[in-house]
Amino acid sequence: MSLWSLSVGASASVSSVTGGTGNAAAQRLIDIGFRKGQTVSCLLQPGFGAPRVFALGNATYSLDKETADLVILTDDRPS
Amino acid sequence: MKNVLLVGAPNSGKSALFNRLTGLQHKVANYPGITIDVGSGALRSDTRAQVWDFPGTYSLNAISGEEEVAIDALRSALADERPAVVAMVLDATRLEKGLTYCLQVAREAARSKKPFLVLLNMMDILEHNELALDLDGLRASLGVPVLPVSARTGNGVEAAEAALLNASAAQSPWADTPDALIEGSAQQIADRFVPQGELLVRRQAKIDSWLLGTASGGVAFVVIMTLFFQAIFTWSAPLMDGVEAFILGLGAWLVPLVPEGIFADFFEDAVFGGLGAFLVFVPQIFVLTLIIGALEDSGYLARAALICHRPLSYFGLSGKSFVPLLSGVACAIPAIYAARTMSSRQERLMTYVAIPLMPCSARLPVYALLITVLIPDTTAFGGLLGWQGLVMSGIYFFGIVSALLVASVASRLGESESRKQAFILELPAYRTPNILPIIHASVNRAGHFIQKAGSIIFTVTVVVWFLGYFPNGGEDLSASWLAVLGTWIQPVFEPLGLDWRYGVAILASFLAREVFVGTLGTIFGIENADDDPAPLAERITESGLTAASGAALVVFFTIALQCVSTVALLARESKSTGFAMRLLLSYLVLAWIAAFAVHGLVSLF
Ligand SMILES: Nc1nc2c(ncn2[C@@H]2O[C@H](COP(=O)(O)OP(=O)(O)OP(=O)(O)O)[C@@H](O)[C@H]2O)c(=O)[nH]1
Ligand SMILES: [Mg+2]
Repeated sequence: MSLWSLSVGASASVSSVTGGTGNAAAQRLIDIGFRKGQTVSCLLQPGFGAPRVFALGNATYSLDKETADLVILTDDRPS
Repeated sequence: MKNVLLVGAPNSGKSALFNRLTGLQHKVANYPGITIDVGSGALRSDTRAQVWDFPGTYSLNAISGEEEVAIDALRSALADERPAVVAMVLDATRLEKGLTYCLQVAREAARSKKPFLVLLNMMDILEHNELALDLDGLRASLGVPVLPVSARTGNGVEAAEAALLNASAAQSPWADTPDALIEGSAQQIADRFVPQGELLVRRQAKIDSWLLGTASGGVAFVVIMTLFFQAIFTWSAPLMDGVEAFILGLGAWLVPLVPEGIFADFFEDAVFGGLGAFLVFVPQIFVLTLIIGALEDSGYLARAALICHRPLSYFGLSGKSFVPLLSGVACAIPAIYAARTMSSRQERLMTYVAIPLMPCSARLPVYALLITVLIPDTTAFGGLLGWQGLVMSGIYFFGIVSALLVASVASRLGESESRKQAFILELPAYRTPNILPIIHASVNRAGHFIQKAGSIIFTVTVVVWFLGYFPNGGEDLSASWLAVLGTWIQPVFEPLGLDWRYGVAILASFLAREVFVGTLGTIFGIENADDDPAPLAERITESGLTAASGAALVVFFTIALQCVSTVALLARESKSTGFAMRLLLSYLVLAWIAAFAVHGLVSLF
């Protein structure tokens, strides 16, 4: 499943970032730490399809659906 | 001479540290991507050393043209023969976000034999929250000097200065590390040393659940924006009254001191009539910059960008257009610069298209003048709201809506980029705004405005006064050179019901919009030279400007791109003079057509 489908308060570990090497968004995600084995959690899902808020360690990022869908998670474990 | 290169991830406090080290006042704000140009200054404690403040980047892999420029600048500074020390600024509270870049740069520095050290910033926040960080362990793992500092309190800055001056290239563990290992090592170091406890994230998330909640977030956004616009008008009102009273008083005191004749006429009409009419609006620019600065430094503007992302994307813009557009309410120049943080060229061009339509503060004097002339100073809704204020809000709303509509049309006409640009925005922690630097920046902005606009307005009013005063010594304005010039452009503005005096003022206002007020002030000043000095609005009312023509003027000013600096900067930033020229022409034509339509419509009643 993708990062976008992570429910609020849940965390999971990153399995991969898709999109290939030519994809600037995927490259940026990897650079800021969305890497295999990393734990990410979803902090907030504002309504109306707005970008969601994710925490990666102590840093927080907001990603829109297209971008969050590039991040594939391994499994869903309740935090 | 020695160069100190301050590099690191966005929002890690490079500019704040730079200001500490040099005593300069670079812009600091709590929004990623504030610094857009490499800037420099002498180190305060040793002026032989030059400190360089770089734009923030997350890695050496650029994803936009602007990042590439910053990274190229770093690479060439590293390749330079002269001695330099690389200082990687890391945000101790968000260590993980800067580590990959840290190791990448450490490797580059080692390869070019430049000393490298880490300035671990924001230590005050860790201390305040009693969060521990194993400094010695971090030093050992990174294999480079690590100096804890706080740009906010100044702690550790002196020690850092000494370390920067004495740094020498040492054996680096990263010189030959391949990319794949760099990522892994960054990960391991982050896992081991990042302060645990999620205390900071949890506190931020609690505020976010309010400010970004589905219902509460929308309400909060509307309330904050309403307060924002209210403040621009109500808070600056007493300041503006003060400036006006001061200028009137100064005029009343100084003008009689000048012997009668051409000099007294010039002094009264051009200096007090022209320049004074515009200086009144400087406080508003100050208040506006102050509030945007405070909002930015609190961390809220990044949230506002998130909230606006979806709605703005319907108009071919992005959430990242929000800050440029909001800055456009102050002035198009900082707005155009602010758009540099947008990585997609297409979205950036669309933001450029929208910015000139945002109701900038240079239009304010024009609107305020016309509203005073056209709208009676009475209240509506049982005295709760003034009609003049309501009309002003209406004009602002009209400007913003037309900006969005034009962007939307333009993005559908323009070459469509196949894939939509990704939205990745770091949400900074909430902070109490650091108010002193913000006040400082606002004073600077107002001063800059007086300097820049003041010199243009002064020149224009002098020229206008000269053309209007001669050849007959101010006896008959309608026989002056200015009137001759006016009759040439008469045909353009006649259909809007405007006579040559307005034509001249509009023509002059293509240098800068606020020139309109000064020019009219000078023209009416010469014309009514024998009357008591009356405010410009009174004189315009007496001259019988019709409601239809007044409305046409307002509409013309909301749309036309009357600002030389904006056109020049658009050409430079978009790297296309054609683009800027097309905008200038299209907005001119559009403004005239809309003004003509409104003139016809209002004339019906
Ligand atoms: N509490 C605290 N806040 C700091 C410290 N250093 C910087 N800040 C704040 O962090 C925010 C970002 O600071 P900047 O200096 O603009 O960051 P930057 O690295 O230059 O950011 P970019 O130019 O966007 O790359 C501002 O709100 C600063 O007031 C610090 O040591 N302690
Ligand atoms: Mg900066």
